[in-house]
Amino acid sequence: MQENLLFVDLSTQTSRLVRDRELFDTWLGGTAAGTELLFRHCPPDCDPLGPDNPVIFVIGPLSGLYPVATKTVALFKSPLTGELGESHAGGRLAAALREADIDALVITGRAPHPTFLTIDNQEVRFHSARTVWGKSALATERILRDFDPQDGRKSSVVRIGPAGERLSPLACATVDSSRHFGRLGLGAVLGAKNLKAILVSGSGAFVPERLKSYRDTYQGIYDKVVHSGEMRKYHDLGTAGNILTLNAIRGLPTRNFSQGYFEGAEALSGESFARDWLVQHTACAHCQCGCIHVAEIREEFKPYHYRTTKVPYDYELIYALGTQLSLGSPEDVLRLILAVEKEGWDAMSMGCTLAWASEAFLSGVIGLDVTEGLPIQFGDAGGYLEVLHRIRTGAGQFYRDLERGTAHCAAVYGGERFAMHFGRVEPAGYLTGENALLTWIVGVRHSHLDDGGYGIDQKLLGKPQPLREQVAAQVKDAQWRMVTNSLVTCLFARSIYDGETTAAALAALGISRTPEELRRLGEETLRRKHAWKRACGFSPEKVTIPEKLFSVQTSNGPLDRERMAERVRLYLELADIAPASQETGTP
Amino acid sequence: MSKRLTVANRDQCVGCFSCMYACSRTFRRAGSTNKAALRVRVYSGVEGAFSLRTCLRCAEPDCAAACPAGALVVQPQGGVRLERERCISCGACVRACVLKALQWDEEERIPLPCVHCGTCARFCPNNVLTLTEEA
Repeated sequence: MQENLLFVDLSTQTSRLVRDRELFDTWLGGTAAGTELLFRHCPPDCDPLGPDNPVIFVIGPLSGLYPVATKTVALFKSPLTGELGESHAGGRLAAALREADIDALVITGRAPHPTFLTIDNQEVRFHSARTVWGKSALATERILRDFDPQDGRKSSVVRIGPAGERLSPLACATVDSSRHFGRLGLGAVLGAKNLKAILVSGSGAFVPERLKSYRDTYQGIYDKVVHSGEMRKYHDLGTAGNILTLNAIRGLPTRNFSQGYFEGAEALSGESFARDWLVQHTACAHCQCGCIHVAEIREEFKPYHYRTTKVPYDYELIYALGTQLSLGSPEDVLRLILAVEKEGWDAMSMGCTLAWASEAFLSGVIGLDVTEGLPIQFGDAGGYLEVLHRIRTGAGQFYRDLERGTAHCAAVYGGERFAMHFGRVEPAGYLTGENALLTWIVGVRHSHLDDGGYGIDQKLLGKPQPLREQVAAQVKDAQWRMVTNSLVTCLFARSIYDGETTAAALAALGISRTPEELRRLGEETLRRKHAWKRACGFSPEKVTIPEKLFSVQTSNGPLDRERMAERVRLYLELADIAPASQETGTP
Repeated sequence: MSKRLTVANRDQCVGCFSCMYACSRTFRRAGSTNKAALRVRVYSGVEGAFSLRTCLRCAEPDCAAACPAGALVVQPQGGVRLERERCISCGACVRACVLKALQWDEEERIPLPCVHCGTCARFCPNNVLTLTEEA
């Protein structure tokens, strides 16, 4: 039964275990339980980079026990947006936390010097990270996995790269080989805490309450994951399969959202990557789907001498560092992904910021005086690698600003009209229409994963639907995703974990929740998140849409200003979220 | 005829650990990787390699030879069976297995010899493990 909260205070180098069964009885786990912990432990007015900002990692009741329940939720106050920071990652972290019998890990304070933590079966040790400070996210894993004394156990390694150490609000935290708490700046929050890495391992084994129904339910879910074809696309081509799908409907953002068609899409397609670059699939712990796609680049560094590097790829990376920058060569895109991966930035945010810089340079908003002699131009892969090098080495104010994100750069240098961000968060790769935009405006994380808006846009093509119905579908999806993210199962398996299956999976573990009760939990959790965002000073009504987007074609035609405002109003009404004017201070 | 678990396609492993979860769930009634009678070892690096360590069912098992209490009984078809009441929890058997195929239950402090039933292979989505017939 879930109950264990492990609190780690970096300032005093102490830890304590608190048992709180009621938290999980009420809030199930994952994002719902994490939101409650955020209310308890994160003052909405705290400095995101100060010691008062906690980092909360939570797993859920299904973690480590059922197929594809692979995600860990991280909650914090975001240094990018100044409001809700929430990011989810796979890898082996959820499985390791389960075997260590830790349901939530709450890290507070600030270490007096660079530190990493080892957590083995709830026992916390603090180690000096002076020797790995400054090391890339990839090198840090190699070194610390060797340091880990738990030979043969399924340890998980969470760490930041140099971007997090420099407190870049675009910095991510990388989990195991290449999964990420990518968005909203967790890397900077950890960097500000002087926390380079966390290693988790455990020797525990959870005994389900009803063994027979556990095995039967497990088998049913396993069969759907492996044999039904519901997850096959994620394994076969992976998310990169979206490149041609979106290009065909003119929804693939190209050159800083100038259009939805990329002339080089064929070369960057999932099919092309699979044929010419894919060398390996891997999986998160307890995911039989295995959606991680790994390419290999081989470079001659002197005659007859080669270095070979594995680079993971996904749709969002190819969009952000490929079509957005007008790069048509998979090798160039992989090189940029590798540079971003080593430094520990969020690829989507960095790609969009480079796209803003390119348009700013192209339109004369910034010149060579600002870029210190370096032209930044669409299609110039060598130029972009040089930009990343300059950011990494802190060469010049402009380059230090670039890793603060699109909104910051536009405020300092201009070009607001084409600065692609929603509430300061750079968008994912969908120029499909108004539903996708609505997700970025009202979604709790400003993420395309907050609801299926981009999917609704795709279904609308040629089949118009009343506005209210579109928004209602979006709200319903957003609410159910709160349940998914509380279990915590991977969103790729969302069609498998429907209400009935989820209720059966929980029942076998001795947790009684009807599908209707789960839905209500989702509705309430969505409301609570918006309440916390409001307490931080955020209002969805005040999010502005980049002006440029009103003059481009989406898959569903041009955007309409009034209709977008109506969508926001409808969303808040249907989700029963109080409008800004009715707010009465801190909830 | 008897059956033996073998690693048929190590290089098709994606590291999902489904095999270890299956073994723990079936034999130890536990949701964990820690009670499995085999191991998928992980090597670091961007998506490193995976190495599978499964019992070879040796005719003259090093694990049994190392046991000072005679708790691991060599079976006619090879491999060992644990006589639990004899086990003194010294761990010598696990240390003697060069393959690191014999696993240790940290909770109960006993070795976990593989019985070559093939449950792990049935839950492998990529045909890494198979159960082969032997004369």
